[in-house]
Parts: sequence; C-alpha cells; structure tokens
Amino acid sequence: MVDKAKLTPEEYLATILVPEKGRETGHVCWDCKHLKPVLKGSKFPPADLIGWCTMIHWPFYWCITDFNVVKKCYAMEKGIYTPKKF
Amino acid sequence: MADVIWCKKVVGGKPCNTVNYLDPYCFWNWEGKTNCAECGTVYYIYMIQGHMYRGPDEKPGEKPDMSPLYADKPLEGYTYYLPGVKGRTRPYECLPRHIYLGRADMVKFSIRGKPVRGWRPQPPSGGLAGQFPYKWDIKKLSPEVWAEYQEKRKKGEVKEW
Amino acid sequence: MAKDPRETRIEDLPGPKSPGELEEMKMPYEEYCRKAFDPGNEWAKPEALKGIRWLSCTMYIFTPHSAANLAELGADVIKIEIPRMGDAMRHTSPFNEAYLYPLHDTRPMTGTGFGFLNANSNERFLSMDYHIPEMVDVFYRLVKMSDGLTELYRPGTLDRWKMSYRYLQEMNPRFIYVWGGGFGYGPKVFGGSYDILGQAHAGLASITGMHEYMGGHPLKHSNWCIDWASGTMITHGILAAIHWRRKTGLGTMIEFSQVQTPTRISGYTFPLYGRFGIVRQRWGNWDTQLCVHGIILCGKSDFPDAQNPQDKFDARYVMVSAFNDPDFKELCDITGLKDFYGRYKAHKDRVDARPQVEIYTALEKWAADKTRTQVVKTLTDAGILAAPVMNDREVYECKHYRERGTLRWLDDPLYGDVLVASGHSVGMMTKTPRRTNWIWRPVGADNVGIYRDLLGIPLSKIEEWYNKAWI
Repeated sequence: MVDKAKLTPEEYLATILVPEKGRETGHVCWDCKHLKPVLKGSKFPPADLIGWCTMIHWPFYWCITDFNVVKKCYAMEKGIYTPKKF
Repeated sequence: MADVIWCKKVVGGKPCNTVNYLDPYCFWNWEGKTNCAECGTVYYIYMIQGHMYRGPDEKPGEKPDMSPLYADKPLEGYTYYLPGVKGRTRPYECLPRHIYLGRADMVKFSIRGKPVRGWRPQPPSGGLAGQFPYKWDIKKLSPEVWAEYQEKRKKGEVKEW
Repeated sequence: MAKDPRETRIEDLPGPKSPGELEEMKMPYEEYCRKAFDPGNEWAKPEALKGIRWLSCTMYIFTPHSAANLAELGADVIKIEIPRMGDAMRHTSPFNEAYLYPLHDTRPMTGTGFGFLNANSNERFLSMDYHIPEMVDVFYRLVKMSDGLTELYRPGTLDRWKMSYRYLQEMNPRFIYVWGGGFGYGPKVFGGSYDILGQAHAGLASITGMHEYMGGHPLKHSNWCIDWASGTMITHGILAAIHWRRKTGLGTMIEFSQVQTPTRISGYTFPLYGRFGIVRQRWGNWDTQLCVHGIILCGKSDFPDAQNPQDKFDARYVMVSAFNDPDFKELCDITGLKDFYGRYKAHKDRVDARPQVEIYTALEKWAADKTRTQVVKTLTDAGILAAPVMNDREVYECKHYRERGTLRWLDDPLYGDVLVASGHSVGMMTKTPRRTNWIWRPVGADNVGIYRDLLGIPLSKIEEWYNKAWI
C-alpha cells in the first residue's frame, strides 16, 4: 500500500480509481490530466474504450477508443493517471 | 461511497464513540474542518470522490467550517442527533414545511375553508359490495362538521381562492 | 333580391359584405379565446371520447395515467382493483400526511393518499380478483363490451391467465390492448421498472443536474416525470389505434416500455454520440445550445422574513434569456458587463462552455446584492426575457393559471374541496374540453353499477361474491 500522505490529489485518485487499461495501449492520454479512465472491472461501457477525454469537447466527454491511438493532442496537460503501470 | 468519522476522543474518561455521517452531497469532494456532533472535537478532512484523502486530524481550538448532517452512537443503542441540532449537526433546509409531522395529518377544511374529507374514521356511507353514491351528504353524515362550516361562513373565514 | 331567384348576390347574404366589414365584425382574438374556451363551463360541452369504454388493470402512475387521460376526455374507464385493498398507489402519500377517507367501508381508518391524484380521475372503480377461475368469465364479458384495456403485469402474466391480446382479440377483434411496463420483450424482459429506474436507465438522470466539474451529481426529477410522460405517450398510441380501427375495424396491441420514454426526451444526446463518440454531460441550469439562456441565483430573497424555507431561501432564482445579439448587448449594457459583449459578439463564441462559465458567474455577481424581483424588473424593463422561478404557492396565486382554469378548486362529489391541477386545461379545446369530474372514488365504489347495471348480475350473486372476497 502506498503512503497516501506523499501522494498528490491526482495520484491519490488514481489509487482509488484503478483503470481497466494502461500505458501499453500507447495513448498519450495516460500522461494527461484530462483523461477519465474506464475503471477496472466495469461492465459498461464496451471494452474498446480506454476512457474519456474530459477536455477537448468540454463540457462533454469524448470516448477514447482502444484502437484509435492518440499520439498527440493540443489539449494535453501533464498529469498522472496510472502510477501503478509506469 | 461516502465516509464517516468515528470519533474515539476520550472525554471524561471514556471514548466518545460517535459516528458522524459525512453526507455525500456536501462532503464528496471537500476540504475543511468539521466537528464531532457529540464532543465537538474539530477534525480537518480532505475528501476526494467520497474517499478520505487526508485526515481526519484533530484541530483543537479551531472553528469547524461545516457540521455533519447526522450522527449516532451505535454502541449505545438508539442515541442519535437528527439534522439541525444547534451546534452539533447541520440544519437540513430543504424541509417542505416548517412542521414535519410524518403521520397522517387530519383536516376537516381545505386552506380556503371548505369541508374536505380528510379525517378518520368516516361514518360508513357505502352500500352493497362497497358501492358508493356520487354524493357526500355531509349534513347527514357529519353534522358537527357542517355546523362548524356554517360558523366559519358566518365569520367570513371561507374564501373563494 | 336579384331578379333571377337562382342568382346569389353577396349583399343578400347575412354576414359581412366586404373584407373591411369582416375585419370590423371580428371580435378581438383575446375575447374570442375567452369565449371559445370558457374555462369553468366545460360541462356544458360534449366529451370527445364519449362512447369509448376502457378497462384499466393498472397500478401506480404510469399505466393508470394512460387511462385517466381517456377518462378526462370523456371515455368510460373502468378501473379494476384488488378487492378491499385497491391500487398500491392509494396507500402512498407525501410524507404519509395527506389522505382522504374512506378507502372502503370495511376499513374506516385507511384512506387514499394524494399519491393517487391525477392518475385515476373520472374513472369508475370496480373490484375484482380476475385471475381466479370463477371470475375469468366475468372479465371476458367486460372485454367483449369494451374497446380496450391497459395492463401492467410482468410480460406474459396475462398470457398465462389467457387474458393477453392473443386470446382477447379472438373474442373481440376490435379490442385495443395496451401493455405498459419497464422493459418489455428483449434482454431485460423480467426487469420491472419505476420512474426513477426509467430516468436512470435511459440516461436522463446522467444529463440532469450540475456538471461534475462543478461538483454536481446525476439528478432525477423530484416528481415522477417519466411515469407521467409515458402514460401520456400511451394515450397518443391509443388514440391513433382508435383512428386506425375506424378505418380497418381491427384492434391493435400496444407494447410500451417505460425506459424508452427518456430517450425521446433526451434531444440530441444519442445522435451526438453517434456522430462523434461524445458522451453528453450535465449542464445544470444553463443551456448547451443557447447562451444566455439559464437560471441564475440572486443574492437576496423576495421573502426574507418568511417562515417557510422554500420562500425564505429559495425565492432567489431568476430565469434569464438573452441569446440573440441585440438582447445580449442590452444585457451586457444594463448589468455593466460591457467587456463581455466586446469579447463574445457572436453567439457561437459565447455558447462555448468556458464563456458560459464566465458570463453566468458575472451575472450572479451582478445579482448578488439584488432581490429576485429587482433582477426580473430590471431585465424585463430593458426588454429582456426574465421570469422568477416560482414555487407552487406562487403558482397558486398567479393569475395566469387561475384565469385559464389550470389550477382550480374542485368540489369533489365524494371527498369535498380539493385543489386540482391540469385536469381541465392541458391543451384547451373549444368543442370538447377535458374535465375533472371527480378525483377518484373508493375501492369498488361502482361494483353494483357495473356488475348489475352493465352485466346484469343479480344482487344476490354480487353479495355472495363480495362475501367470498372475489370482488
């Protein structure tokens, strides 16, 4: 168990909301703080999503598919979502 | 999920043992100080998505920002603090009326003062197999309410709207 | 008179003789409407659905409302209930407080709660345990003399009792049969539903409330809006089926899944997903297509001394709409936010999410030292559409609803003085207006009226059935 006293709020959130997929999908989104990942074990939505981008269509969420790999993005901002998989 | 603060502060030689409920609509993503409803100990908490990220840490001598909505003492049977106990729990301002009864409220007259059949028991007035007429003969069935209605009319308490 | 009597001259005819004269003889539109609709005198006019007889084997709000709509338009709706118990909805009331008595002479301490209101008006109430073999034949006789039925059992229940459309259409080919329920056939065939499940399951709750970014959660509507809306949509189906039957002589089965209704109400949500893969989010009291077009919070209450918290704290909201450019310019001028007009001249600029956050925040800041009335007055004086967010007390006192008969006091023949809403005037009709004759009647209140007068069953038999609790 990581010591939560040393985590930033974003890192802490990533420990309680574990994503289904991770860095191996190749998306730049895993470094981005606007990613809202599909949580582990969720039956919805379909498995080909890694999560949603909360930024580029804000206030709506854009579905980021597994097969459509995002390599670069104008809205990319540094953040941490999957510290476990680094 | 939402969290609770189980206060174990020793007060007067024994632990306080009060469960303070941090209701999700206010505490879901919240940073600040809240108090124990029983002993008044102030705790600093930082919640993220309903999870306790920092705290609860005691902050003696400081003032709470917000109180819990409800608290109880599960080890002492049914001792609890309902919402809106001054200095202990937060008032719950969404009450539809200032007097919340929670049991059938009998009325004989509507707000404009005309009779309405809102009290029980009613004298039986049906026929065979539960057949009911299409008329409430109030003069015959409830003469005392009819008399009261006439009084109200004389006093001008019956309005049209 | 013309020389040739076969000739018709306009000057011999009654009525206006020229377009100018016609204009003069027309009464003002306002006056015409008041005279044509004449709220309060509905009973002097005929009923559109007179002659239709409908059976309502329903409970709660959703399916009963589909039949209550017919009854308010004049159909003879027979509600069939569990003997001595009635619709489960009778036993619900806001905070357990508001009941009207009696429910039935054998239960003097039990009443019917206000949860039952509006969903069963003008109906006749029959009690019958129609699934026991002894009563099946009586049920079939009612089917043979009725135009249709609404039921809400789990899919296939009435089929098992040999009372589904497949059986009933053989006895009455003109029969219109409605099943209304949660999901209907399909992968969730056994799923029951409540209004809240409908709102949640079809994605309506997920787009109601404040955005997650502002700390909001998905919200359901406080009232059971999907139940009421679904019932109304069933009624549309029934009216279309009646029209179809006039042309073909054949009945229809209507299968209505409640969780489909919110998809109809959700607007562009699904098409947007289909086009871009975008999941629509909540946007609270603002609007995603128009800006400014939302509800803002003012600093001061209109009733600071009121005892009721609804008045004391909540009389602070104002709806503002100024989305086209001149209106927006005016709004910026009177609220002193001139730089916003400079920055967001075009609607497409200000309708973006970020400008909306800025604009509404600035508006609420402007309104922070004003009461709701002051804000509404300032804006409407400047020609901008603004209205206070009213609570039901204020609606009751509002002349608009009183003059048009939307809200009115009904002297219910059995229960006395009740304030009713909408039964008369949701969609005013000149010739055949809707009306509320009574709000409801006790359980089995029309047993003799239907078993004896309609079906010709002798009173001794009715008494026997009653004593056995079959009716």
